[in-house]
Amino acid sequence: MKHARLGALAVASLLAIGIPMSAHHSNAGFSTDKMVELTGTIKEFQFTNPHTWIQVIVEDDKGVKTEWSIEWGSPNSLGRQGIRPSTFPPGAKVTIRLRPMLNGAPAGGFVGAKFEDGKTVGRWE
Amino acid sequence: MRGALPVVLAFAVWVAPGLCVAQSAQRAPATPRPYDTLPDWSGAWQMVGGTVFDRATQTGQGGAITPGVRSHPPYNAEWEAIYKSHLDRRDKNLFPDTISNCGVPAGFPRHFNLPDPYEFVIRPEQVWVLTENGPNVLRIYTDGRKHLDDQWATYTGDSVGHWEGDTLVFTTFALKGFRDKDVILDRTGLVLSDQSHVTTRIRKIDPKTIQVDMTIEDPKALTKPWVVTKQFSKMPAGTRVYDYGCAENNRNPADVDSGKTLILGPDGKPLNK
Repeated sequence: MKHARLGALAVASLLAIGIPMSAHHSNAGFSTDKMVELTGTIKEFQFTNPHTWIQVIVEDDKGVKTEWSIEWGSPNSLGRQGIRPSTFPPGAKVTIRLRPMLNGAPAGGFVGAKFEDGKTVGRWE
Repeated sequence: MRGALPVVLAFAVWVAPGLCVAQSAQRAPATPRPYDTLPDWSGAWQMVGGTVFDRATQTGQGGAITPGVRSHPPYNAEWEAIYKSHLDRRDKNLFPDTISNCGVPAGFPRHFNLPDPYEFVIRPEQVWVLTENGPNVLRIYTDGRKHLDDQWATYTGDSVGHWEGDTLVFTTFALKGFRDKDVILDRTGLVLSDQSHVTTRIRKIDPKTIQVDMTIEDPKALTKPWVVTKQFSKMPAGTRVYDYGCAENNRNPADVDSGKTLILGPDGKPLNK
């Protein structure tokens, strides 16, 4: 999908989405009552400790590209649940739902993802 | 031969006494219990519940970073004030410490308050409690040695114990505590002093549960012993445990000046400073 689709979905009370509060981590400034959905192209899946990060290039209606950083759980815990570095292959088109940063920066906490072929990852009800 | 005498005398006067002291303090006089008589705690285990250190005394709903949540250690007035200041920082989304979040041992007794898998490795002369998170290693000597009288303080301290049936009983001394403002017990900001010491009993209470009972004494911070129980449930057979290199790609460092958790963008610059 060429153009970004950015919409704020009000969610009254989101449940935990799989970002573990490990020893180094604080409440990292992500919204707890809003969810954003965006569509873009996977640049990189950083399958690294302490947390994984999905880097997504999102292009707006004017052709301006923005790199989003979407944080997920540790590669260890995700790996035990079947997630792999290949789960988000570079170049793949994907729609991702996330809890956005409170200050509007292009980052957030991962909720779920849906690929063009209909395959979903995470929570996508 | 005559020329060698001064060397022998020097060894006898300067070196040998030191060796004798070291050996007497660290000697293992007792015969460790045979391996085939020790209990089986193999496999991977996961702490039950969240990372509020003492959930039995917890007030407020939610986890350790939720405003309003606290434990109730029997602090004296001075240490209650320290804890309250940490709770205030937590409620403002600030770390009570900025050092222990990545790169130093979790320390004891926080060792038994971590997410991710645990492993309990039993050998006749030692027991090792390994945590993926960190990673951390707690070594408990069961070979009959005693604590050193002049043991210097470390994050994890010095643990010496023995078996009472299938229960491992050990004491832990020489803890750094909050002396250098870098050892907390959980993210509510619970702390103990460098005078803290702990008596711990570990046993398997059923095939899928290991229970850890800790009696914490701290003449500097507590008015009476504080008993904390943690349980660990067995993870599925075949569970793998992995590296945990916090420095590998930590995009959530704590700002040392403010205590605020930063979120780093792809260029390494904070998105929220």
